[in-house]
Amino acid sequence: MSTPTRPEVGPPTPWSFPRPETHRLPNGLTLKAFHLPGQYVISVRTVIPLSTTVERRDREGIAALMSRLLDEGTARHTSEEFAELMERKGIALGAGMSDGGLGVDLDVPRRNLADALDVLRQVLAEPAFPEDEVRRMIRSRLAEIEQERALAPHRAMREFIATHFDASERASRPSAGRPETVSAITREDLVDFHARHVGPEGATMVVAGDLSDLDLPALVAATLGEWRPQLHVVPERPTRAPQRAHDAARIVIVDRPGSVQTEFCIGWDGPDRRAAGWAAYPVLGYVVGGSPTARIDDVLREEKGYTYGIRSSFRPRHAGGLFVTSGSVRSDATVESLGLLLDILQGAREGFSEEELRAGVDFITRTAPGRFATADAVADEAAARALDDLPDDFTTDNLARMRRLTRDDLARAYSEVVTGDWTVVIVGDAGAHAEAVRALGRGPVSVIGA
Amino acid sequence: MPLDYPIHTRTLANGLRVIVSPDHTAPVVTVNLWVGVGSRHEQQGRTGFAHLFEHLMFQGSRSVAKGEHFESLMAAGGRLNATTWFDRTNYFETVPSEALELALWLEADRHGHLLDAVTQDNLDNQRDVVKEEKRQRYDNVPYGHALMEVYAAVFPEGHPYHHPTIGSMEDLDAASLEDVHDFFRRYYGPRNTVLTLCGDISEEDGFAAVERYFGGLGDTAEPTDPTGSRLQPLDGPARVERHEDVPNDRLHIGFRLPPDFTDDFYAVSLALEILGGMASSRLVKRLVRREHLANGLSCTAMGFVDGVSLGLIVADVDEDADPSEVEAHIVEELTRFAAEGPTPEELEAARAQTERSWLSALASPEERADILSHLALLHGDPSLINTNLDTHLAIGADQIREAAAAWLLPQHRAVVAHIVEEEAA
Repeated sequence: MSTPTRPEVGPPTPWSFPRPETHRLPNGLTLKAFHLPGQYVISVRTVIPLSTTVERRDREGIAALMSRLLDEGTARHTSEEFAELMERKGIALGAGMSDGGLGVDLDVPRRNLADALDVLRQVLAEPAFPEDEVRRMIRSRLAEIEQERALAPHRAMREFIATHFDASERASRPSAGRPETVSAITREDLVDFHARHVGPEGATMVVAGDLSDLDLPALVAATLGEWRPQLHVVPERPTRAPQRAHDAARIVIVDRPGSVQTEFCIGWDGPDRRAAGWAAYPVLGYVVGGSPTARIDDVLREEKGYTYGIRSSFRPRHAGGLFVTSGSVRSDATVESLGLLLDILQGAREGFSEEELRAGVDFITRTAPGRFATADAVADEAAARALDDLPDDFTTDNLARMRRLTRDDLARAYSEVVTGDWTVVIVGDAGAHAEAVRALGRGPVSVIGA
Repeated sequence: MPLDYPIHTRTLANGLRVIVSPDHTAPVVTVNLWVGVGSRHEQQGRTGFAHLFEHLMFQGSRSVAKGEHFESLMAAGGRLNATTWFDRTNYFETVPSEALELALWLEADRHGHLLDAVTQDNLDNQRDVVKEEKRQRYDNVPYGHALMEVYAAVFPEGHPYHHPTIGSMEDLDAASLEDVHDFFRRYYGPRNTVLTLCGDISEEDGFAAVERYFGGLGDTAEPTDPTGSRLQPLDGPARVERHEDVPNDRLHIGFRLPPDFTDDFYAVSLALEILGGMASSRLVKRLVRREHLANGLSCTAMGFVDGVSLGLIVADVDEDADPSEVEAHIVEELTRFAAEGPTPEELEAARAQTERSWLSALASPEERADILSHLALLHGDPSLINTNLDTHLAIGADQIREAAAAWLLPQHRAVVAHIVEEEAA
């Protein structure tokens, strides 16, 4: 039998992101419902605009701590009772802060959706913040800070934001707080913070899954529709990107003597999704450092074997964003790798080939139908875009804008962001590398303790 | 009530087992191959080889250049990767329907004709990459060696699960081109492989496309070794203590469990879920919620096929607590559970969580394809995908208690304790 010849790939099937049915409830909550046949676990994503910039400076981390305490006891149930109640209904619930706001994620088999929506109402409207649970979650956050300090990627990112952003900016400090601010948080602080900042006005609830034979608007009206807070005011969120430190362009080495690898975090400011030229940036992230055959890993992994993989990505915030390249290399390849990385990042200012443009655009646009094939993926995307104040068609329209990109668009978009200045954080053995890093002449170098 | 995902199976003349499961809700198809070789088949002195070999499968084959597999599938809208584990190696991509034939052509080229393209340079390069993977995931991370220490403590020297899939630096260094050739000939071939298509493809078109690209491959590799004898619970307890630069004391407590796909394994998995897999579990309530002795606690059952599986309890000890006190509480709860079994409420919660996680896993064609390959290769019957949930939900309180009494008593444990190193005064 002869070997078959290489098959051609046909043109893509037209596709667009599912469109929701939208309802506005009298209490100000927006409901977006996606009926996705065959998706038997329903994903509910509730997003509430909120910024950590409203936190008191000596209570930073209170928003994140509050999010972790929402299901640790409510007006009607103790923390333990509530955990049992959820688990016996097959509910999985998680909550956390992103740059744009508070998110509460819930997944449940469809026959228990009504019970789950009541659970969600209790979590959002009547968390009790029991003193014991508050103490426990504070201890848990303090332990987490220590765990993060021991992990090179976390340690690098923490130093990156502290170095890159001006010290007056909330963004320069960990969003979930520091030991001294988290330890100071009281039950009263949490009750007050929740009352002022968590409410249905301005919030969006996305429900995705097989909704056939379910009267969703009625189920929601009977549960979340009854949420009527007293003190809630939709908070202001920053409209401008955080300011950079005046000395952001420098190299900081976090000393870890004897480290067998060196972790890099290299970055500068980037755009947010509302920027006019946003469509180019995911493509640029892919082409520079988004795959094993992208520019960075083509050299550092596939040619040199210095790394398991280094990734570049544009990370949009609610306002502004970052362009970050991060990953680890073999310790004895630290200095050469840093030089290579900075050269590759800088060299990309000269532009991209037609093949690179097509590869990046095709990857992102043609993977969309598969990436958004499940209820949780659709719900995550719709909720995140709602929190960004972007329209329902954004995801579809953005893919269309991507398909129209030219090489000039890519080169222009990259050069607008990449000026040649970088904030560089290196977590590794300073004794072994600091002198040689200085000798590279890529910027002022300082060494700090781990 | 059983689920009703359509399952069509066929075996090609060369021995390749093919499964097609049509689902037209999205214009994508997942191609998922499971090869019956994992780290349990490795020889002493060559640990880590199955995984290193997996890397070489992306370095080109007879008609495909180095890097081209990733590049051409990603440019066609494919998301792809491969993983190696104790019992198997898998290769997978989810592609738009129009790229299915390209995916099959690329897979057939490397699964049939890899050796034409393997070079010393590629081997050396990927050996370096794998070493960095090892450093990144195990050597440069707090508690990074804990799981390897658990495998070594729970399974006897020389046992297939005694060593980790990532292997050792010395063994990676020892791997030669000749090993690559031998390994491919021995383990890679239609007779030791299962191929699943799940997604936007019909039964007829799916089988025809697989026949077109894989039908001509030679009937080379043999099916892998039959499994060895069953291991009994550890005659312990065993203990390994490491004093290291870690943020908190942490206990990893391992147990031998019965092999996967047995009612005993399902029952003991539910026991672990009830003991510490949920926010309302006994150990979580006692150690995390009430006594504040642990910052976190989790329980897992890892199913293996070769005569034994692994159960694991991990407790992250609170800064002010004594790890031996935490262990004493765990020992007490294990003893109590083996005597009393679960309460009706605990059983209801464990069943509800099992149902949601099983249905969530089946929601995407990627994971459904992976489960179909898993069931077909390691259990011989992909149709279990529709009945497995009912089997779990039918396990009763007595079975769970008996399984816990047989496998999870304190004397059967192996404890790996990572203790914060005292700083010199």
